[in-house]
Amino acid sequence: MNLKTRRIAELDRVIHEPGRLMIVALLSAVEQADFLYLQHETEMNKGTLSSHLSKLEEAGYVEVTKTYRGKIPQTLLSLTAQGRQAFAQYRRRMKEAL
Amino acid sequence: MQRPLLYNNIDGVGELALGFFFLGYVLIQRLPFHSSIWRRYGVLLGFLLLIAAIHYGVKAIKKHITYPRTGFVEYQKRGYIWKGAIAGAVVGLFFGLILVLAARSHWKIGPSHWILTTPAALIGLVLTAGYAYKIAKAVRWKWAVAAAMAISSVAIAMIPAGVIGAMTGHTSASVTAHVWIFGALVLTYALYGTILMISGGISFWLYLRHTQPAAETAE
Repeated sequence: MNLKTRRIAELDRVIHEPGRLMIVALLSAVEQADFLYLQHETEMNKGTLSSHLSKLEEAGYVEVTKTYRGKIPQTLLSLTAQGRQAFAQYRRRMKEAL
Repeated sequence: MQRPLLYNNIDGVGELALGFFFLGYVLIQRLPFHSSIWRRYGVLLGFLLLIAAIHYGVKAIKKHITYPRTGFVEYQKRGYIWKGAIAGAVVGLFFGLILVLAARSHWKIGPSHWILTTPAALIGLVLTAGYAYKIAKAVRWKWAVAAAMAISSVAIAMIPAGVIGAMTGHTSASVTAHVWIFGALVLTYALYGTILMISGGISFWLYLRHTQPAAETAE
């Protein structure tokens, strides 16, 4: 196994999971988005999306803010600086490896 | 990732706003003013009202229709979108200016010469390229809209001066280069505005048909 191939093993596993990768990729292109937007774009159900978001929040990659839009509860999500850095590094490593 | 940026026009409101702006521009230019001072301030006021109507109209549609159905997105404040738009406008104007100067020095302006409408057509083609890059590549049927815009631009470039002059209230003999280019530009905006309003209207109708406001449950 050469050095380039071995780099695949060094990929960030929190981001590498396809569901979480979708979330991080979407959030990387915006300032912030709400739960409904991510659900609509990823076509995940609420439970699965919540579970992935919890893991990303635990890793410090996503910031979750609970707020209201009028009287309706709204969950706003954004990538933290650490999350953006981790995603940039993930992309770089993936490019190098493939 | 381009996808969230394309989301901005998922409901067709981006096209509706642009179409509304073009048609508004045409309307403002056609307003009858009694003096040049009134015209200057009237046009300025008209533009301010037009921009305000578009800004608040889009905001209201997004807030009451789009966000409750498919979610809210706040975009990053990036300079490159403006840089692209400015670069496109500069390139269009640059080519337009070159053509005008070339036409002035090499051709006598007469009723049969259509060369001076070309700058307006070129500006139209730059707008079409921007539309194809930003919108049509995301939705396949929008390529038909881009094609309609491109054909309109070429058709406008071939319109005889007499027709353009009649549109702007001039006789064929008194048509100057300025009137020619301006008339062609107004015609371009009128056509583009109509095409974009139709395309945006269809997108908006499809969006309303295929989406429902989300149920208010815990997230």
